[in-house]
Amino acid sequence: MGGRVRFLGVRHHSPACARLVADTIAELRPAYVLVEGPADMNGRLDELLLGHDLPVAVFSHYRDADRAATSWTPLCAYSPEWVALTAGRAAGAEVSFIDLPAWHPAFAERTNRYAEAELRYARATERLCERFAVDSVDALWDRLFEVEPADGLGERLDAYFDLVRGDAEAEPGDVAREAYMASWVRAAVRAAGGRPVLVVTGGFHTPALRGLAGADAGAPGGTVTDGWPEVPVPGVGALAGSYLVPYSYRQLDAFAGYQSGMPSPGYYEQVWERGPEEAADALVRAVTGRLRARGHPVSTADLVAARALTEGLTLLRGHSRPARTDVLDGLASALITDDLDVPLPWTGRGELAVGTHPVVVEMVAACSGDRVGRLHPDTPAPPLVHEVAALLAVLGIRSDRPLTLDLGSGRGLERSRVLHRLRVLGVPGHERVAGPEHGADPVFTERWEPADRTGRDAALVEAGSYGARLDEAAAAALTERARDAGREGLAGALFDAVLCGVDAVSDRLLSELASGVAELKDPGALGEVLATALGLWRHDRVFGAARGRLLGAVVSGAALRGLWLLEGLRGAPGVDLGRLRAVVALRDACAYAPELVPVPREAVAAAAHRISRDEEAPADLRGAAFALHRTLAQPGDGRMPHGNDRAPEAGATGVGAASTAAPGATPDANATAGTGVAPDTGATADAHAAPAAAATGCTLGGVPEDARTGTGDEPGAPSVSRAAADEVLALGRGGEFLGDWLAGLFAVARDQVARAVGPAGGGSLVGVLDSLVGAMSDEEFLVALPSLRQAFALFPPRERERIARQLLERRSLRGSARSLLRTGADPLVVARGRTLERSVDDLLVRHRLDAARPRTDRTAHEGAPE
Amino acid sequence: MSVDHLTAEQESLQRPPAEVRYADELAALRAEDTGPRPPGWALSLRAARRFVVGDEESRVSRKFVGNPSLVDRALVTLATNRGLMLVGEPGTAKSLLSELIAAAVSGTSTLTVQGGAATTEDQIKYGWNYALLVSEGPSKRSLVPAPMLRGMAEGQVVRFEEITRCPPEVQDCLLSLLSERVVAVPELEGPEGMVFARQGFNVIATANTRDRGVNEMSAALKRRFNFETVFPIPDLDTELALVEAEATALLARSGVTVAPERDVLEVLVGTFRELRADGGGQPDRLSAVMSTAEAVSVAHAVGVRGWFLRGEAGSAADVAACLAGTAAKDSPEDLARLRRYLEQQVSRRRGPQWTALYDARHLLDG
Repeated sequence: MGGRVRFLGVRHHSPACARLVADTIAELRPAYVLVEGPADMNGRLDELLLGHDLPVAVFSHYRDADRAATSWTPLCAYSPEWVALTAGRAAGAEVSFIDLPAWHPAFAERTNRYAEAELRYARATERLCERFAVDSVDALWDRLFEVEPADGLGERLDAYFDLVRGDAEAEPGDVAREAYMASWVRAAVRAAGGRPVLVVTGGFHTPALRGLAGADAGAPGGTVTDGWPEVPVPGVGALAGSYLVPYSYRQLDAFAGYQSGMPSPGYYEQVWERGPEEAADALVRAVTGRLRARGHPVSTADLVAARALTEGLTLLRGHSRPARTDVLDGLASALITDDLDVPLPWTGRGELAVGTHPVVVEMVAACSGDRVGRLHPDTPAPPLVHEVAALLAVLGIRSDRPLTLDLGSGRGLERSRVLHRLRVLGVPGHERVAGPEHGADPVFTERWEPADRTGRDAALVEAGSYGARLDEAAAAALTERARDAGREGLAGALFDAVLCGVDAVSDRLLSELASGVAELKDPGALGEVLATALGLWRHDRVFGAARGRLLGAVVSGAALRGLWLLEGLRGAPGVDLGRLRAVVALRDACAYAPELVPVPREAVAAAAHRISRDEEAPADLRGAAFALHRTLAQPGDGRMPHGNDRAPEAGATGVGAASTAAPGATPDANATAGTGVAPDTGATADAHAAPAAAATGCTLGGVPEDARTGTGDEPGAPSVSRAAADEVLALGRGGEFLGDWLAGLFAVARDQVARAVGPAGGGSLVGVLDSLVGAMSDEEFLVALPSLRQAFALFPPRERERIARQLLERRSLRGSARSLLRTGADPLVVARGRTLERSVDDLLVRHRLDAARPRTDRTAHEGAPE
Repeated sequence: MSVDHLTAEQESLQRPPAEVRYADELAALRAEDTGPRPPGWALSLRAARRFVVGDEESRVSRKFVGNPSLVDRALVTLATNRGLMLVGEPGTAKSLLSELIAAAVSGTSTLTVQGGAATTEDQIKYGWNYALLVSEGPSKRSLVPAPMLRGMAEGQVVRFEEITRCPPEVQDCLLSLLSERVVAVPELEGPEGMVFARQGFNVIATANTRDRGVNEMSAALKRRFNFETVFPIPDLDTELALVEAEATALLARSGVTVAPERDVLEVLVGTFRELRADGGGQPDRLSAVMSTAEAVSVAHAVGVRGWFLRGEAGSAADVAACLAGTAAKDSPEDLARLRRYLEQQVSRRRGPQWTALYDARHLLDG
């Protein structure tokens, strides 16, 4: 019987194979054409042949209690399967898909039915590539089949696939599929009664099918009814289905790794329609056009050189006609006059790497083509369309009236999620005009208003290619976005995932986001992501994302990355609130989510210690790292000293608030510093005591330092404060360094410091600072003032008041600490005035006129106005 | 490689040129070479390609581990009128590739200009024997041809190593040479004053991206070259095998009789690859070069340390100790980065050798 069956082993999306299929059908006039494809579509083949604009895909989905899967069966004009389908029909043959349905466990982990199976069995192909000295299977394939003349193609294909299959031990999934497909072949042979049968399958399966189909009809491979194998049906309780969706060359080209088929669909379409020579010319034209449109010069000389190189490569490689890589290599050699950061993408497989040369990006885009498929209007709509309609009806979301949603209620959240999912899928109809803007935004209502609905139906059908259910589709769309968005869009994608409530749906989304975090380069941005994710992970009740896997993975990745970035940080002096925020976020991650931080606590503490000792690290970071080290090094249960479970955003907000407070004229401890030239204030406080603004005695050292009678209630607090005092003394540096260092310290350990300087508190840090500042010269003080102000601005007014009171106590003075914090003039104006006065003084000194002028700036030392 | 054909004199050389080391292979390839040869070439394109990428059937060894298509493009470029510029990180075997290609195409790889800050035009085109110049005046006899002039006159490939190390004005003396394919020697009169390039002449330049880089090259000169970037070996197994083979050979020559342990080499090569990678948990690259060549030299040092200090193959602790000197060199930033890598990344690794490396991290400080 074997003589009447013709097995054609093909490579999916190969124009050469498609041509072979067409020729074979014309020559053989088979009664049956059996095609590798989902057998559950057999009843609906007419749907496929309605007259769509290719590419289209059969999208299959499956979900039961244990697993969920989605997969595509993409078809384009030059797919051998598509040609078998259409040419077979036209020749009057009965055409059937003969493979297991996509939901079958044999396809577990597969998202593209027409991925090239040989990629999963790399050993044989690697050997072949080495033997032919080519870079990749794609180049090998082109060389052996696409550019060679058609005669003898069938035999060469057989030899190739026999070799590839050769010693490979097929995976169980492939074995099951082959057994099933063989049962169809046997049935067709029986039914054909001697008439020819053509079997078109992936070449990897052909050698096995040949053997199995000849075997005894009673061999296992599924039950048979009416002479034909039964199509497996999903079990009870499982939801499965297949439907047609529009597809695009971009999507076809985007599969990577084991899921990928042949690359460059745009180029191979040309090969299919016009042959390799014209496809090569078209490719050169397309690349040139794209580059020139981008303003990249492509001279005629370059094109001549590219042409010469392509011809040389074609000859050298023994191709009878230029292959894809010959053209691309020629163009690359001629057009790129730089060193590349990443290898040329066609020398391997996989997605375009970050850092690909812009010229190469255009070349790959030209190969990929931009064709987008469209379904015939009579095609049944994918289930997503129906699901969305049903969901909107159930939830009472009407397209003509605005909605105000209470996110705290179950129904409100449900409705919000549906609307957000539609939003991320790009389905028009509603627009959110108000609601939480980021993870830490304490807004619990959302408002949506009706918007333009043009294109809504088309968008829904297109979104159908992402999934059958709205949550799955939204997760798939977000995954794609997280992959493409790059670093800037990461926090947005993360928040959208939370808003959509899809974090539990998709592992791929998880890994995309986590790996995106690992590539962040700016500590500030990273701190933001970490703080947001950690906050949501710990506290979120609204979106139900607390303790979720998604946020857990992001926190994990961000903490590790943050530590890495911070330890290597160099940079300009000055306070960078972004990086301080990152340290705060790291502290919180260690404190509240130790199980998520992949580095042991001691290692984090050690790293913090190293940073704090690093002479080249910025001062603010050193202060922050010092505080982090002290906080982490404390014995305890791993919690923060203040077990009030304060939301980490509060820390971040503190830093943020400081940034607004610092430049302004907000009254604060330092504000009292310096008056001298502001005669209208009347009160002339000691210009020398920055935090110790008021008292006179301090600089004279008359106040005993051990005035403290008790310590704070937390054991950690005074230790941090005291250690910080020692550190300040040890560093022995004033000026900007001191202020920056303190800003870092306060940003991370403000609580501990504030507690330690409580009313009856030890106050060693304040004491040390007081003495330090008191000992500064006018010059030094003016330099140090702005950064000190910024540092103390990190304290809220109440705590500043406490510090001020302590200063009074140090000097055994009575008075209102609050009024100490108030000045009659903007301290910055005062400081500027003092600077001016200083330079006048200098001028006078230089011209020997100083003796004539009485010193006015330090005439009066008075206590705080009372 | 077969070395039995080498003469005693050649054998005593530390490193004979490629055409000597592989003389047998070249001879065999030439004997059975039937393909069309570009004018002035010693081998056909295909035979030259087989010489570089290897061919099991004709027992030609694989000498360059990298994408074969790179070799294709390089050879075709040389057959056109543009020069070949090999760029890439140091230690990616650019010089080896240029040597092999020159040996295959011209039969000699010794016409080499070594670029450097002190390179002058004399060393590129021609100089004079000043004793003769003074006594006889300018003549062919008193002219001392430099590699470019010789390559042009004899129709051979000239290698220009580290071209970007030369000052731009010196680089630019290649301009007319590459476009007009002629060198004028104004001191000589008559036809001798013009040296025209014969068929077969071309230039292979190498430049590494860590030096001043190709950005400072003039656009005019850039245009006369086709650029090929040579990348580090992409896959771990290939690199590991290469490091193992090279390190074993080096160790044998240093009198170490135990082969390096594979686990240790895996840790070493793994470390190098991660430190080399950009992205994926690795924001700021080391300024030192983490090339395969560097990995081989660390493996060599590790083996020497283990053997001569303790009489055994080197351990992961030796890797830590050698990394500081070999990889971080004298840069404190690199040392800090290396320490950070050991502290933060290696601590998460599983496997006894990784743990040993982590435990030995204090050795980094020497």
